[in-house]
Amino acid sequence: MTTISNNDIARAIYLISKDASKAEQIDLFKKIARFLFRKRLFSKVPDILSRLKKIINKEDGRLEVKVSSVEALSHQTKTHLEQILKKRYSVKDVVLIQNIDSRLLGGLKIEVDDEVIDLSVKNKIKKLKEYLIKA
Amino acid sequence: MNSNTIVENLKKEINNFSLQLKVEKVGQVMEVFDGIAKVSGLSDIKSSEMVTFPNGEVGVALNLEEDAIGVIILGDFSKIKEGDEVKATGKILEIQVGDSILGRTVNAIGAPIDGKGAIKATKTYPIEKVAPGVVTRQGVDQAVATGIKVIDAIIPVGRGQRELIIGDRQTGKTAIAIDAILNQKGQNMICVYVSIGQKDSKLRKLGARLEAGGAMDYTVIVSAGASEAASMSYIAPYAGVAIAEYFMDQGKDVLIIYDDLSKHAVAYREISLLLLRPPGREAYPGDVFYLHSRLLERACRRNAKYGGGSITALPIVETQAGDVSAYIPTNVISITDGQIFLETDLFYKGIRPAVNVGLSVSRVGSSAQIKGMKKVAGTLKLDLAQFRELEAFAQFGSDLDDSTKKQLERGKRAVEVLKQLQYAPMKIENQIVALYALTKGFMDDIAVDKIKEFEQGLVEYSERHAKTFYKEIKESKMWTDKGEAELKKVIEDFKLSFNR
Repeated sequence: MTTISNNDIARAIYLISKDASKAEQIDLFKKIARFLFRKRLFSKVPDILSRLKKIINKEDGRLEVKVSSVEALSHQTKTHLEQILKKRYSVKDVVLIQNIDSRLLGGLKIEVDDEVIDLSVKNKIKKLKEYLIKA
Repeated sequence: MNSNTIVENLKKEINNFSLQLKVEKVGQVMEVFDGIAKVSGLSDIKSSEMVTFPNGEVGVALNLEEDAIGVIILGDFSKIKEGDEVKATGKILEIQVGDSILGRTVNAIGAPIDGKGAIKATKTYPIEKVAPGVVTRQGVDQAVATGIKVIDAIIPVGRGQRELIIGDRQTGKTAIAIDAILNQKGQNMICVYVSIGQKDSKLRKLGARLEAGGAMDYTVIVSAGASEAASMSYIAPYAGVAIAEYFMDQGKDVLIIYDDLSKHAVAYREISLLLLRPPGREAYPGDVFYLHSRLLERACRRNAKYGGGSITALPIVETQAGDVSAYIPTNVISITDGQIFLETDLFYKGIRPAVNVGLSVSRVGSSAQIKGMKKVAGTLKLDLAQFRELEAFAQFGSDLDDSTKKQLERGKRAVEVLKQLQYAPMKIENQIVALYALTKGFMDDIAVDKIKEFEQGLVEYSERHAKTFYKEIKESKMWTDKGEAELKKVIEDFKLSFNR
C-alpha cells in the first residue's frame, strides 16, 4: 500500500477547491473534514494546512518573507525591500511578516523558506570573531 | 609585544575584514538521537553534503527525504537540541591534509588526538572520491616487502594490490599488519593505519610499538575508537584513504591498513538502521557491498603519465569461528585481490604467523615478486600442500615409502622455517637465503627442533660471508652462478661448524 503524504492531501484539497464557488466551498470543506476524520488524519491538520498555504502562495505568485529587525521598519524600507525581493524571487506579491528581535543588535535578517540572508550586526560580529581567530 | 602593537594589529586585521554577503540555506533540527539528527528544510542539499550545527559540530546528510533529511553527526551530539539551526555548506565532507600529518594520530575528521598540537594543513581532500579510472592505472609489478617469510614467499603483495587479512579473533591479524608497517622503514613507503572501533588501549600499545620501531616517521594513524559514535567509525576508512591519496598524488607509494572492516560494516549497519533504511541479510543494508567496494577500489597503482604512486590496501576482516562464508567476509574476499587466511588451530599449534597456506592466495602479487624469491618459493606452496595431505594420511600407518618419508621430513622443516616471531621482520635477502637452504635440501639432515637455531645462525653467517650473493640480489633481484656457488659453499661451511 502506498502511503499518502500530507503534501498530497494538501495538493488534492487545493485542486478540488480552487475553482469552486463560495457555496460549493463550504460544502467541500465539510466533506474534507469528514474525510480527514474517517481516515484518522485529524492530528495532521496543522501540517496539512501549512502545506496548503504554501501551495496557494506558490500558485498565486505570493512570497511570505519573515523579516527580523531590532525596531519596526519604516514604510520606505519596507517598499524598497519588497521591490528587491520581488525581483530576486520573480514573484508578483511579497508579504512581509515583521518580527522584532532585540538580540540582533541592529540590521536585518530576512528569511524565505529555508533561505536566510543575515544582515544583522550580531552575525557580522560573529563572522568578525571567526575571522580574527583564523588570522 | 606591548599592548599598543596588539591594538594596532587588531585594527589592521579589522580593517582588512570584509563581510561577504551570501544567502545561506538553513534548516532546523526536528529530532536528535544516537548520533543521528532529522532536519527539516535544507531543500537543495546534496547527498553526503556537510552541514554545520550551532556549536561547530559537523554532520553529513545521508538520507534525503521529501521534506526532511537524515544527518549523521560527527562528534559530540549531546549539545544539539531540537530547533537548532543547521546550515548547509555546499561542500562534500573533506579533511585537512599536509606533509606534517606524518607521525601523527588523528580522528576520523582529521583533527589531531595525540596532544602534539595543531597540524599545519596545506590542502583539503574530499573524503568520498571516485576511484581512479582504467586509463590512469598500471599493472602491479613492484613488491611490498612485508618482512614476513610466509607472505613474501607464498602470498606476495604488490604495490597497488588489495590483500585481505582474514581470521578469527586472536589469530595475529593486526600483528601481520604492524610487522608490515615496521618493515617499510627505508622502503620509500608511507603507511596509514586506520583503526576502526578498536579499544583505545590497543591503539596506545600499537602507537608505542610503532614509535619504538621508528615507524612513526612515515606513518599516520587514523582512529575512530570504540567509545566514539558509529558515524566516526563509518567515516574513518574514507578519511584514511583521503590521506593516502594526498601522498599518492605526490607520486609516493602508500600502504593503508583498515583494522577492521567487519567493525566498519557493523557501524554502517547501526547508522542505516537508525536512518530507517530497510535491513537485508544479517540486518546489513543493501549497499554494504558498495560500502567496501568503493573504498577498496581507491587502492591502485597509477601510471607515470598520471603522476605515478600507488595505494596498497590491507583490509582486515574478523570471522566468527572460522566462518568465511558469512556475509561481510565473502563480500570483501570477492572485492580484494587475494587473502591471507589465519587459523586458530595453527596459532595454538605454535605455527605463527598462523597462515593457512592452502586457503591463502594472492591473485596479482606473483608478478610483483622479485625473481630470486620466485625461484626459491616456486615449489614451496605445493610442497606444503602435499605435506598437509600426507601428514593426515601418515597418522594411520607407519609403513611409508622413502619418498613419502622424505616429503614429510621436508614439510616439517618448511613449516619450521616459515615460523616467525612478532616484530621481527626479515630482509628479503635473508629470506631468500633461508628458503634456498630449505628447498635445496641443506636442512634435511638438521633435527626439526634445531631448524630455527640453524636458520638464524645461517642468515647471520651468510650476511657476513656471502657478500657477492647479497649484492646480486640487492642490485639485480636475482643471483648468478657465481653468487649461487658462493652461497652453497657458505651454507656448507656453516653446516660444518653448526654440527660440530
